[in-house]
Amino acid sequence: MLFNSLSFVLFLFIVLILYYAKIFSWANKKRMLLLASYIFYGMWNPPLVILLWISTVVDWTAGNKLAVEDNLNKRKLWLLLSMFVNLGFLAFFKYGDFLLENFITLANAAGFEYQPYQMDIILPMGISFYTFQTMSYTIDMYYKKTKPARTFLDFALYVTFFPQLVAGPIVRAKELISQFYEPKKATVNQFIWGLFLLTLGLFQKVVLADTLLSSTADTVFKPGQILNFWDAWTGTLAFSGQIFFDFAGYSTCAIGIALMLGIILPDNFRYPYASLGFSDLWKRWHISLSSWLKDYLYIPLGGNRHGITRMYAALMITMLLGGLWHGAAWTFMVWGGLHGTYLILERLQRQYLPFEITKWNGMFLAFTTFTCVNITWVFFRAREFETAWNMIRSMFYLNSDGTKVLQTFDIIKVLTLISVLFVTHWFMRSTSVKEVSLKTSPVVLGIAWSIMFFLIAIAQGSGEQFIYFQF
Amino acid sequence: MMKLIKSLIIAVVLSIIGLTSWEMFWRSQGIYPTIDGNDALWAVVRNKVDNLTKDDVILMGSSRVHFDIQLDEWQKITGKRPIQLASGGCSPLPFFHDIVNNSNFTGIVLVGVTPGLFFSTTNPKTQPWERPQSKVDHFHNRTYAQRLNHQLSLPLQRSLTFLNDDDGVDGMRLKALLKKVKIDDRVINPMPPFHNFSVISEDRNVRMKRRMETDTAYANTVKAVWSFFMSGDGSPPDKDATMAFFLEDLQKFKAKGGQVILVRCPSNDKYRDTETKVTPRETFWDELISQANVNAYHFEDYDQLQNLNIPEWSHLSAGDADFFTTELLKIMINDNALTNHKIN
Repeated sequence: MLFNSLSFVLFLFIVLILYYAKIFSWANKKRMLLLASYIFYGMWNPPLVILLWISTVVDWTAGNKLAVEDNLNKRKLWLLLSMFVNLGFLAFFKYGDFLLENFITLANAAGFEYQPYQMDIILPMGISFYTFQTMSYTIDMYYKKTKPARTFLDFALYVTFFPQLVAGPIVRAKELISQFYEPKKATVNQFIWGLFLLTLGLFQKVVLADTLLSSTADTVFKPGQILNFWDAWTGTLAFSGQIFFDFAGYSTCAIGIALMLGIILPDNFRYPYASLGFSDLWKRWHISLSSWLKDYLYIPLGGNRHGITRMYAALMITMLLGGLWHGAAWTFMVWGGLHGTYLILERLQRQYLPFEITKWNGMFLAFTTFTCVNITWVFFRAREFETAWNMIRSMFYLNSDGTKVLQTFDIIKVLTLISVLFVTHWFMRSTSVKEVSLKTSPVVLGIAWSIMFFLIAIAQGSGEQFIYFQF
Repeated sequence: MMKLIKSLIIAVVLSIIGLTSWEMFWRSQGIYPTIDGNDALWAVVRNKVDNLTKDDVILMGSSRVHFDIQLDEWQKITGKRPIQLASGGCSPLPFFHDIVNNSNFTGIVLVGVTPGLFFSTTNPKTQPWERPQSKVDHFHNRTYAQRLNHQLSLPLQRSLTFLNDDDGVDGMRLKALLKKVKIDDRVINPMPPFHNFSVISEDRNVRMKRRMETDTAYANTVKAVWSFFMSGDGSPPDKDATMAFFLEDLQKFKAKGGQVILVRCPSNDKYRDTETKVTPRETFWDELISQANVNAYHFEDYDQLQNLNIPEWSHLSAGDADFFTTELLKIMINDNALTNHKIN
């Protein structure tokens, strides 16, 4: 079920009525939320709920065993079971076709004629999110960083909680499970603020991403084109804005919906396009994934504890796998590799060319970071290397007589919107929507809210899927 | 706390005022709520196929069958309401292939033969094939959420004009409105503006807008689009592949006990001239019916089907679509190609 759909409006309405009606105990409210979460997921493809159940049961069992088991080898086996099941799901459903394709290419290159039956595996929505979330519980249990969930119901709801089930934030057990232990109810303020965040998230998704930016990005990233400088940059900037508004919009909706139930979810984005460098970027973009990768991949790989070379290798491996997490394609690996390279170059700069960041050079640094990030989005968005390479050449003026595919209005629209986005991120760097709202007059806030709702209603959209659902 | 409540009240009040004004603005332009003829609606109608009996009729083809055969007239005469699966710009072959291979239907299928589309292609990457195939795929792959979304959207579509999902010059969504803003001709789009000239109902019955008969300039905009399509080189028809594809499915359908009727709906003027030139009757239609060996009706063969009102050369006006349906049914019933359930 998509947040930007009528079925979700009905679904949320029913859930809220049942949640706040005084007919259920807290335990039964949680059962209702769990059932609602399965319905939320099953409305897309009911049989794939079974994967959620398997993941839940395996990690619940592994977590319970890890809570009482002292034998290190047995503890490792329980951890490995969890990783085998969760990563196995990912390997089969997400990377099965990709692995097979590459195996065929290798086999053919080696002279073996091998053409197996195409598997055409369906990608379960949000599989990368919930498998990472459940694994984090078991890994934390292994390292004794968290306590076991008190009941199976609490754990199952942690794995399946519908606001963040299919596209995060990837929440750690200690952040969410403990909230289920005591009855939760949003205050009037929280409920209204949650509704505002839901509107803001939908505005980002439906109006800004789908209505104002997506078609420009789609036009420019069609394969087989060699584009003009302006078209290539406009399309890349459009995608840059689209993916931010799409994903941050989802996270904002998720946080808002959870808040309407009295549950607090962590921030997933903090104005990333005004980041001062790439370490800063990854503290601001998809925070729940980057902190997951840092805690469960970068640090176990050695982090910065074993010298510079090992640290750079750990950084690069983390970013390459982070790229692969987004999709089963070599273009995502290049995207991750570029970010890994940026992070390494930044550390080298800090070591050999250190400088103080002031308010004067800060904006320039933020702009440079944003520009470099846009280069990486080309590989993220392009389906083939040829398309990406043609785009990069056009963006660097190497295709002087490239084709024009965008109207002047599209270029102005995208450049204006992305400029506003960048400047907004710059001024919001050290604050939050909540803080700004507290300083804003209720009339102005109400007018802004109504404009967003009005634009959502007249844009409506055709219920386009969130980009991150496919990851 | 009071601050947020105040903001919420202001937001609700202004949203209601804004959306009411927006709705009134469109209605003041003479535009009223309509149902979207999208893939979801097609899927709902397609879903009825498995509950049909041997006496039922499915209509499929491209826009001519969609405009020219009227379900009310059909029901009045035969006592049975057919299922309308035809769709604009579509080759009927993917529709027929789906019914033959993915349903247990063994009744009558009326296939409209618009030569430029029927004989166009079997290449799945081309528009005449992609369009119908996307409908078929949507029917088979639609999620429960999509089904519910469609059902929930119907009352809204019936009530609110601004929810119209037209994508072109008649579009009212924010995206369509922005698409119309033009500063210069940085990229030249040679296609003339294409107005939507039909109204669809929930059972996918289509009628031509009255304005097409009363406003010549409006009708001329549609003619300009047809002229644009006809002016290009276009891909040549692929008669061998399309006929082979259709005939294979036809044999399967006949073997299951099904019956097919082929109908060539009227066209005139420049459209008909082009069709005669590109897909001459003798080598396309005549050859098809000789190989198909089914009941087939070409409008040229019947006096009563001549000189009908075709405001844009290709589709009948609403009134003449009623007449065409009635006359065609008389011919088919007289021919025993169809049963009149009212009598029998």
